Amino acid sequence: MSDTHDKTQTLQTAISDHVPDGASIAFGGMGGRDPEAAAREIIRQEKTGLRVVDDARTTLFDAMVGAGCVDEYVGSWVGTSLISQGHNVRRAVEEGVPKDLTMQDVSNFGSSLMFFAGAMNVPFVPTRSMLGTDIAEHNDDIEVIDDPFGSGEPLAAVPAATPDVAIIHVQQADRHGNAHIYGNTVNDHLKVRAADTTIITCEEIVPSETIAESPELTKIPFYTVDSVVEVPFGSHPWHCYGHYYADLPFYREYGLRSQDYDEFQDWLDEWIVPHEEYLEKVGADRLARLEELEQTINGGKI
Amino acid sequence: MTGETDPEGDSGATNGSPLDVANPDEPADDYSLTELLAVTAAREIDDGEMAFIGVGMSLISGVLAKYTHAPRCQLVTESGYVGSRPPGVVQSISDSVLGVDSLVATDQMQIFVDNQRGLFDVGIIGAGQIDKYGNTNSTVVTGAEGSYENPKVRLPGSGGSNDIMTSCGRTIVMMRQRARAFTSELDYVTAPGYLDGPGAREEFGFPGGGPETVITDMAVFGFDEETKEMYLRSTHPGIDVEEVREMVQWDLNVDDDVETTPVPTRREVAMLRTIDPTDTVLRDTDRIYEIGFDEWADTMERNWKRLMQIEEDK
Repeated sequence: MSDTHDKTQTLQTAISDHVPDGASIAFGGMGGRDPEAAAREIIRQEKTGLRVVDDARTTLFDAMVGAGCVDEYVGSWVGTSLISQGHNVRRAVEEGVPKDLTMQDVSNFGSSLMFFAGAMNVPFVPTRSMLGTDIAEHNDDIEVIDDPFGSGEPLAAVPAATPDVAIIHVQQADRHGNAHIYGNTVNDHLKVRAADTTIITCEEIVPSETIAESPELTKIPFYTVDSVVEVPFGSHPWHCYGHYYADLPFYREYGLRSQDYDEFQDWLDEWIVPHEEYLEKVGADRLARLEELEQTINGGKI
Repeated sequence: MTGETDPEGDSGATNGSPLDVANPDEPADDYSLTELLAVTAAREIDDGEMAFIGVGMSLISGVLAKYTHAPRCQLVTESGYVGSRPPGVVQSISDSVLGVDSLVATDQMQIFVDNQRGLFDVGIIGAGQIDKYGNTNSTVVTGAEGSYENPKVRLPGSGGSNDIMTSCGRTIVMMRQRARAFTSELDYVTAPGYLDGPGAREEFGFPGGGPETVITDMAVFGFDEETKEMYLRSTHPGIDVEEVREMVQWDLNVDDDVETTPVPTRREVAMLRTIDPTDTVLRDTDRIYEIGFDEWADTMERNWKRLMQIEEDK
């Protein structure tokens, strides 16, 4: 996969080419720089039987669960935001609506480590986290082992995660998949290495010369990437550091309308549309205001 | 006292700067229990400490500490930011306000590696349930009939709480005081307190010291050095010991000279309301559910500028 051909695709093609029904997926960001537009496209294409192998997930995961796309989650935290619970996740786990969701818990460090093991191509890595708790007890994939070097110390062995697909949203990338991440990286550099296939969505496709001017920002290299899609405002309603601030009133509405399953179906009908149409509905003025807010706090950093 | 939050945050504040408060060190006479909870947690962070904080109440306490008594404390978030000075509420763990003045923007793995190495002094977590040894549950409420696989209530999960309790120097737990939450038997152990008693953490070789303080909307609790059991340290103004006992399922130990929790100062309350002008975290009003987009954006931006100006003025 070391080739440097032009990997650009449309969002629709990237998802239909690389996300088959039943795929295991890891998403990038974490309540900031989340690939929300890509997740909406997964819902729009009515994907089913997905296994989300991840860290902490917010609205994109809750919406996919409510739309019936997901059968299983392995990760550390699910909700939507400070001002709302993950109503769809709760309905699926507690009531099996629209279908059962199987949960497999790890801690946040555990989620980093499962991608680290996957990226290293080893079966597991050890940690002191999760020992003595029900996380290790109920997660059949986590084994408590003794230090093989004889210190007698117990360690939790966290198994490698190797998802079929990683989908990561970044500020800028070139056509070959060299991706600049500004601000925090979360687990994204590990997810792309652990996954078999990686889709990068970005605010802007830039020339490779721009990437080469600041190579220290290339947290994701071209040889881990299969598809590059330009998706402006691809993290809305969340933040994209340096580009736009989070749209709290938008995800507030999501939280309120997802409390009831029927009302959530109306939300899906309204908002699960091609991305260009979605942005038109949000409105250019509102998007511009979110850009201004981000400039107020992080202006000049990109 | 409760529910009288002035969303404009001018509890004595004048001329836009929350530091311009008349008699700033005097006790505030207008504060809510949620504000008292946030201030009490903030005071647990000492100046110069590395403070590992999550979203919501724990982050607002960390931000408050940084803007009041602990300007040299460094905030650490699991998403990868260290040293930020957020000029307002942090809505999510990668909120871009964490970029403001941050010294480090790295990845989650690095933060937790540093945590396991023992480099962070104090962590603040939330929880749904807690037992007398300070073990917490934020994963599932199973109820009488349920199980982990089929719970009565599915909670968000560990997030970083397990890792913080395992490895942070000491941990502060913030939660609501409810009888079903202060339980004799946890439905699920998400984060390790003192497990089943003295010596258990040492057996597992945990790098961190475990829970030190539990702060609720009614009281503050500590842990006995010998028995590792939780005891009542102070009750909030207007709350008596019996009221707290009723909200704890086990026979609660009470400090011989149980105190009244110190009330917030006028400066602390003014600062909190400047940090959270839309009541997103404190939630003493429904303002965050009622405010329109334009007013929300304008309010946030105005207060960001106020707080960023304080730093520039220094």
